[in-house]
Amino acid sequence: MRFAFRDIPDPGTSGVRPRPIVDVVVEGLDVAPQACLLDSGATAVRFGAHVAEICGIDLRDAPRTRLAVGGAVVTALMAEVTLEVDDGSQQYAWSAPVWFCEPWAPSFGLLGLTGFFDHFTVTIASYQEWFELTPAS
Amino acid sequence: MTTVREVRIAGHPFVLRSSDVVRAMREVDPEPIASHYVVVGTRRFPPKQIIGELTGLDRADFTTHQARRTLIRLGFSAGRRPGRTTGTISAPSRHRPVIAPRPLADRLRPLAGSWVAIRDDDILHSTQSPQELVAWLSRHGQKAESMFRVPEDELAASGLAPQ
Repeated sequence: MRFAFRDIPDPGTSGVRPRPIVDVVVEGLDVAPQACLLDSGATAVRFGAHVAEICGIDLRDAPRTRLAVGGAVVTALMAEVTLEVDDGSQQYAWSAPVWFCEPWAPSFGLLGLTGFFDHFTVTIASYQEWFELTPAS
Repeated sequence: MTTVREVRIAGHPFVLRSSDVVRAMREVDPEPIASHYVVVGTRRFPPKQIIGELTGLDRADFTTHQARRTLIRLGFSAGRRPGRTTGTISAPSRHRPVIAPRPLADRLRPLAGSWVAIRDDDILHSTQSPQELVAWLSRHGQKAESMFRVPEDELAASGLAPQ
């Protein structure tokens, strides 16, 4: 499944920043796939807590931890959820532990090692501004 | 600068001001764009929604073409959703050139900090919270390809604190 980098406005300048971003349907909420950044520096999949709210994910008895995201310490609650990507011709769905964080400063969800990179072989052609996700068998 | 036009819509005379349009639509949620749209502020509205809101007329009493032409004469830009027709935006004045649609990133820039729903390289809707955005999509039976907050600073853009 191949995707083009997405041009995002560069804050504070008139330029754009091409990023490896893929839209992920969380728990079947296909009216609003979440834009997510491929982040091999993240140990896990992390979203803002608002994603759990809009997807109706119950976090009342969820495992809880404190972790650092972008230099800030956040409260994170974990749930096993279904994630799905679609390149227009193929779909791939998997189940992953996702940490829902509050507060959440990034504009996007972060797709990290556990829950994302361990489900795909990921090729990033940064110069050519595309990336490819091959589901691990 | 406010533009004032005397118009007749569905047999009723109106004196319309561009400033009234901006004021009237400030608190109004744009409805889904089927084809034609008019830009008010940074948001796109169906032409008939604006004229209906402004005049109180039943939308069945006038056409999209009438509404669109009226708003263009008041100085607003009008266009069609990309991919369905030529994708050009007509300028409100004969002295302004017809321009091609700007790249999505440029159209997102004024919305820094807002939540946006994207489909077909088009901004379906923007709100101040993700909950409002999903509620709008559900209410209007719309399906986005992507939703996110337009980054307003380095932390939002990269997920990393500035060095």
